[in-house]
Amino acid sequence: METFAQSLVSGVLTGALYAMIGIGLTVVFGVMKIINLAHGEMVMLGMFGAFWGQALWHLDPFVSLVVWTPLMFVVGMLTYRFLLRKIIPGGELNTLLYTAGLSLLIANVALFVWKGDYRTISLSYGMTPVRPFGIAIAVPLAIAFGLAIAITVALWLFLSRTNLGRAIRATSQNPEAATLMGVDVERVAVVTFGLGTALAGAAGVLLAPSLYLYPTVGELLLVKCFVIVVLGGLGSVPGAIAGGILLGVVESLGAVYVSATYKDGIGFVLFLAVLLYRPSGLFGVGK
Amino acid sequence: MKRLVLRSLAAIGVLAAATAMAQPIKIGAPQPMTGPDAPFGDKFKKAYGMAIEEINAAGGVNGRKLEIVIEDHQAKNQLAATVAEKLITQEKVLVMTGGRASGQAMEIASVSQRLKTPYLVDHPSADMITTKGFEWVFRNNPTGSIYPAAFQDFITNYPAAMPKSAAVVYDNTLFGKTIGGAAIKILKAKGVNVVADEAYPVNTLDFKPTMTKVKGTNPDYVLLVAVATTDAILLTRHAKEMGLTPRAFVGFGGGFGVADYATQLGPLAENVFSSAAWSGNPNDPKTKAFYDKFHAKYGIWPHEHEVEGYSAIYILADALKRAKLTGNLDADRDAIRKALLATDMVTVFGKVKFGNWTGPTGDPFTNQNVYSPEHSVMAQWKAGQLLNVWPKAFAETALTFPEPVKK
Repeated sequence: METFAQSLVSGVLTGALYAMIGIGLTVVFGVMKIINLAHGEMVMLGMFGAFWGQALWHLDPFVSLVVWTPLMFVVGMLTYRFLLRKIIPGGELNTLLYTAGLSLLIANVALFVWKGDYRTISLSYGMTPVRPFGIAIAVPLAIAFGLAIAITVALWLFLSRTNLGRAIRATSQNPEAATLMGVDVERVAVVTFGLGTALAGAAGVLLAPSLYLYPTVGELLLVKCFVIVVLGGLGSVPGAIAGGILLGVVESLGAVYVSATYKDGIGFVLFLAVLLYRPSGLFGVGK
Repeated sequence: MKRLVLRSLAAIGVLAAATAMAQPIKIGAPQPMTGPDAPFGDKFKKAYGMAIEEINAAGGVNGRKLEIVIEDHQAKNQLAATVAEKLITQEKVLVMTGGRASGQAMEIASVSQRLKTPYLVDHPSADMITTKGFEWVFRNNPTGSIYPAAFQDFITNYPAAMPKSAAVVYDNTLFGKTIGGAAIKILKAKGVNVVADEAYPVNTLDFKPTMTKVKGTNPDYVLLVAVATTDAILLTRHAKEMGLTPRAFVGFGGGFGVADYATQLGPLAENVFSSAAWSGNPNDPKTKAFYDKFHAKYGIWPHEHEVEGYSAIYILADALKRAKLTGNLDADRDAIRKALLATDMVTVFGKVKFGNWTGPTGDPFTNQNVYSPEHSVMAQWKAGQLLNVWPKAFAETALTFPEPVKK
C-alpha cells in the first residue's frame, strides 16, 4: 500500500512538470498550427539558465525563474519575428522541418559552447526529502510542483480574463473570425510564441534541480512532450495537463508493478490505446 | 627523359619510405570526447598524453616517437565502429586502444579483428570482448564477471557481512547485464535471496519508481550497476530520497568511482562502496610517484581510468619495442600482435601477461590478462575521497560497515 501511494505521488509530481512542458507546445500549436520541434531545446535552455544562475551568481534555481521566464519570453518573440514568421505561409510541413532544423542548431551550438558534460544542480535543502505519512517527497520536486501549479493557474487566468488572452483563444478557435472581429492576429502570434517559449524555459528551470542536464537533453523531453500533447488532444491546455499527469502516473506505476525497463514502452502503449478509442485525444475537439 | 622520370619517382619512393620510418608510430583510440561520457574521454586523453610525453622524452620507441590519434565516438556504438574503421584504414594506425564502454569496445574489437589490427582494451569490461576468440584483441583490465570478486571475498570473509537479502539494479547495456548477472550468480551461490532484480535503460531521468519498488522488498544490501555517471548519481540520490536503508550500498561500474560522483552527491555519497577494477596499492612508491606526477601535471588525482589508459600506452610501447617494424602496414600489425602475445611486464596497473584461460562464469578467454583475478578491489567514499578498503592487503583506511543509521 505504501509502495502504491509512493509511486502515485511520485507520478503526479513528475507528471505536473511533464504537463508544463506540454502546455507550451500545445498553446503554440493551437494558435499558429506550428508543431515546434525546437520546444525541447527551449526547455534545455531553461535548464542551463538555472544551472549557470547557480554556478555563476549563486542564484537559487527557483528564484532565477523571475529572470529566465521573461528572458525566454523575449527570446521566443524574437525567434518568431525574425526566424519563423516568413516561413509560416509555406505551410505546416515547412514549419515542422524548419523547427527541426532550429532544434538541431540550438542543441549543437549548446554542445559546442557548453561541451557535452552532464551537470546536476545540488541544493543544500534538496538532500533529504520530507516524509509526510511515510511517503518520501523530494523538496526540489515539491517546490517545482507548487510553482508549476501557480504558473498554470496564472496562465489560465491570463487566457480567460484578459483581452489579450481572449484574443489568443479566439485566434486558436478560428483565425479568420478573429481577424474579422478586429483581433491583431500577427501580434497574437508573436505573444503566443513568446508565451510558449517562456513556459518551456520555466519548465526547464523547474526541472533542472530534479534531473541532470546536458545540451541534447531536449530530444529526450520532446518525445515525452509529444505523447502528452497528443494524448490530451493537440491544442488543448486542459488536455496537456491531464496528459502530463496521466503519463507521469502510468510510467511510475508501470516501473513499480511491471519493470523499469518497459517504463517508456508502457507510456507508449497507453498512448496508442487512448488514440485508438479517442483519435483526437482525451480533450481533443476533432476537425 | 623517361628514365629520368622513373629514377626520380624511385627516389621519391625511397625517400617516402625513409620518412615513413622516421615518422611517429600512430596509436588509434576511439573515445567519447563529447556527449554524456565526455568526462571519461577526457580522463583517457590526459592519461595517454602523459604516458606518450614520458616515452617520447626518453627517446621514443627505437628512435621513433609515439603519437595518439583520438577519434570521438560520442558514446554511440555505431559511431565507434565507423571511427575505428577510419583510424585503421585512413589514419593507418598500427595499433588500437581505448573504447571506454563495452558496447563501443565490442564494435571496435569486431572492426579490428576484421581489418587485422591489434586492439588493446584498456578499460571496457564486458566478458564478451575477450570470449569471442578474437586473436587480434587483448585486454589488460579485469572483465565484468571478475569485478565482483572483491565483493564476493568481502561478504565471505568480513565478519557478519553475509547479506540476508539483496536487491540488484543494473543498466541494460552489455556491461550492466554482465556485472549484474555475475553479482546475482555469486549471491545465489551463497544462498542469498535476491529480492529485486531490476534492469533500467541508460540515461534514465527518474529512478524513483524503481527505488520505490526496491524499497518494498526491504533488502539487506543494495547493489547498483551503472556505466554512466549520471545514472550512478541519480540511482544513489533517488535510492536515498525514497528512504532505502540497507546495511550497504555497493556500486559497480565507472560511474561510482569518479570524483563527480562525490562532488554532485555531497553527503549522500558517504560510505557508498565502489567495487572497482583496479587493485593498485596507492602506498606503493611507484604508484604514489605516478599519482603525484599526474596530479602535478593536470591538477586532478588519477584513479582507475587514468591508471588503465596510462598503463595501456606502456604495454603497447613495450610490444612496439620488441616488434620488428618494416614499414609494411600489414606485416607490422602482425608483428605487434605477436609481440603483444609475448608481453610479460609490470605497469602501474599491475602485472600483465596475456593468455587463454577460463573465466569465473565458465567462458573461455582469449588474450585476457592472466593476472586479472588479482585486480579487483572494494573502495568506499569517505568525505569526498574514494579509498580502498578491501581486501585488507590493499586497504587505505578502515571500512564502515554496516552503514550507520541516521535519524
